[in-house]
Amino acid sequence: MTAGLQGDRGMPGDDLRWWRPYCSPGPVEVFHVALVPHSGREAAAWTLLDTEERRRCRRFLYPAPRRQFVLSRAALRAVLCVALGCDNGELTFEFSRYGKPIPLVGGDRVALHCNISHSGSHGLVALSHRGRVGVDVEERRPRKNLEDLVETVFGPEERALLARLQGKRWLDTFLALWTAKEALAKAWGMGLRTDFSTFQVPSEMLRGERTGLFRCPRISNATWRLEDIGCDDLAAAVAYEEDREAGREF
Amino acid sequence: MSSTEERIRALVDENLEIDGRPPGRPLDLDSSLRDSGVSSLDFVAFAKLVAQEFGVEVSMEECASINSVGELIEFLDAKAA
Repeated sequence: MTAGLQGDRGMPGDDLRWWRPYCSPGPVEVFHVALVPHSGREAAAWTLLDTEERRRCRRFLYPAPRRQFVLSRAALRAVLCVALGCDNGELTFEFSRYGKPIPLVGGDRVALHCNISHSGSHGLVALSHRGRVGVDVEERRPRKNLEDLVETVFGPEERALLARLQGKRWLDTFLALWTAKEALAKAWGMGLRTDFSTFQVPSEMLRGERTGLFRCPRISNATWRLEDIGCDDLAAAVAYEEDREAGREF
Repeated sequence: MSSTEERIRALVDENLEIDGRPPGRPLDLDSSLRDSGVSSLDFVAFAKLVAQEFGVEVSMEECASINSVGELIEFLDAKAA
């Protein structure tokens, strides 16, 4: 057995774990995943990956994205095993048309939705027993060329809000809006194939609230709860179904 | 090397942070940018910049379908054709 793998179901013990509960908005559990270099964690994470995931690792050209994938996928496996009461060996994934992971236990779909995002040294995993969920995280760091994106990805009220801001407040608001939109797009399952300029975050969030309800029948018949879960180190949002779409199965 | 490829390589070097890529290392045109650690936000911002430089429009859906710098070059060449 690899050093440090002493916890339940072959999972790393508490001293080695690189994920921890981050917040619990509504029916959703969100875990933070530390993606900083750490040889012991990376070795433990590697043992949790299946053959296909290890094969995927060979595609990464550089150590940083490889580490981010290994640590975040292993953390996703660990939290799913606890939530589903299964062994890691029983857990596999299939992927939606646009790449969203769907957990399977013993080859069967389960009544649990998950989503994952990472940026720099931060990853987030979101689990929901009640409906679809999307999560997005962006590390807070200077970025280039964001001003040119405003017209492409934001609606009129969002652009008006940004036009009143400068400097750090502009960047913080940009990242809050972007992560909110990407979380919604990931919850819907379309990701970046969604035209972000055709929908806006709820008006209460544009007024500074941390949460709001989103309805847009053109895109989805469900009602969505959107929450800003960012902190000093990272911008992040989670979107989840408040009212399930009638007739929709997992 | 095509003119498009030369310009794109220069834009990548100036604007795109590829996590862990040693400075000056030649860019692999066929590698997935996501697998090179480029975030979705950074890639969409870069694609928009490139589109402006080349005087073409690029939609979010088109951004989502482009996986590598090589595919971005093909996209631009097709738009210019």
